[in-house]
Amino acid sequence: MIAQNFDYASPANLQEALELLGGENVKVLAGGMSLIPLMKLRLASPEQVVDIGRIHGLNTIREEKGTLRIGATTTHYQVESSPLVRSQCPLLAEAASHIGDIQVRNLGTIGGSIAHADPAADYPASLLALEAKVVLMSAKTQREVPIAEFFVDTFTTALQPGEIVREVIVPVEDHSTGTSYQKMVHPASGFAIVGVAARVRKSGGKIAMARVGVTGLSGKPYRATGVEKALEGSAGSPSDLQKAAAEVAAGVDANSDLHASAGYRQHLARIYALRALTIALSRTA
Amino acid sequence: MKISGSYAIPAPPERAYQLLQDPDVLAKCMPGTDHLEKVGPDEYEMKMKMAIASIGGLFAGKVRLADQRPPEHFKLIVEGNGKIGFIKGEGLLNLVPQGDATEVKYDGDVQVGGTIAGVGQRLLDATAKMIIKKFFEKLSEAATG
Repeated sequence: MIAQNFDYASPANLQEALELLGGENVKVLAGGMSLIPLMKLRLASPEQVVDIGRIHGLNTIREEKGTLRIGATTTHYQVESSPLVRSQCPLLAEAASHIGDIQVRNLGTIGGSIAHADPAADYPASLLALEAKVVLMSAKTQREVPIAEFFVDTFTTALQPGEIVREVIVPVEDHSTGTSYQKMVHPASGFAIVGVAARVRKSGGKIAMARVGVTGLSGKPYRATGVEKALEGSAGSPSDLQKAAAEVAAGVDANSDLHASAGYRQHLARIYALRALTIALSRTA
Repeated sequence: MKISGSYAIPAPPERAYQLLQDPDVLAKCMPGTDHLEKVGPDEYEMKMKMAIASIGGLFAGKVRLADQRPPEHFKLIVEGNGKIGFIKGEGLLNLVPQGDATEVKYDGDVQVGGTIAGVGQRLLDATAKMIIKKFFEKLSEAATG
């Protein structure tokens, strides 16, 4: 199908883009991997589209004070293949490599993905496990929001009208930390039916730090703090991991659809949590 | 699609029931709705402007209340049509006192059709849950306000 008529702007700098966002019924176009299909089906009919793809400086990955700052229009492929991300924050590179297919990864962007906040997207699980921060910018101010506060609900984020995702900040990983992202992929859409990201660090034979992020299971991605608490202080034996992974869906209102019932999704979450934890632990130094 | 769950409203059942039957309160609590027009006994017409993520659309529809047994039970019948699809559903609402509050239990069956169902299947459940949650959050505000 063909989208409804709309005005298109492709500003050269961020300030110009932010001014355009003040209007009514405006949508930001980053990679267009979600917005364009919605527009073609006329599920979305913005009057104005602001393409941020040509803005200089938004498509960058840089290391700064123990963090990596990843610009909003950095594509999934760039994240997946960047030597900097692969060495300093391998979990994020691994998550990026699981998104959709190569065509989507070449166009889709990290800023667009999180701003859309699809409850089954791949990035959120890893970003939560990494305790990432998101830099949001409006014409007047700039603010930093912890990722757990950024995802409010299904398709709902902390973005206010007139605000844009400028960059995502993730920590440079301590090299003794082991990480892994494991997902049950929906074969047609490439989205996660369930996806689990794990980060584990050992110290003195015990697990000193565990972070677990989950996507696809419920209306919004979340940190499985029950799993983390069960692991921290344990020796990380196979039975410790199994006991901890069993907590992954506790208290979570699981989604149910024709691809997977709520009970099956919870079951998958436990299986994939165990896999992610086992692999992450095997990668610790 | 089956939808069921419960939500605690910080008001006794009589008050919660009254709020759930009040068209002005319902209009205020339903996301994207600003007005319910009475067209018959316990029957209202509404216009709803949906805006979730990038998806937006106007729905026009009807809401009907039936089988009322105040303050513990009623049936809600909803149907709506828009360019992007249609929705048709029935839900049973049971109000159970819980100290000073009321637990509203809902159990419904909703059919969604058209473009939105064809391409949005993967997301209908999560989206429906979010809309219901928003509705009850607003209703709680109305109950305490």
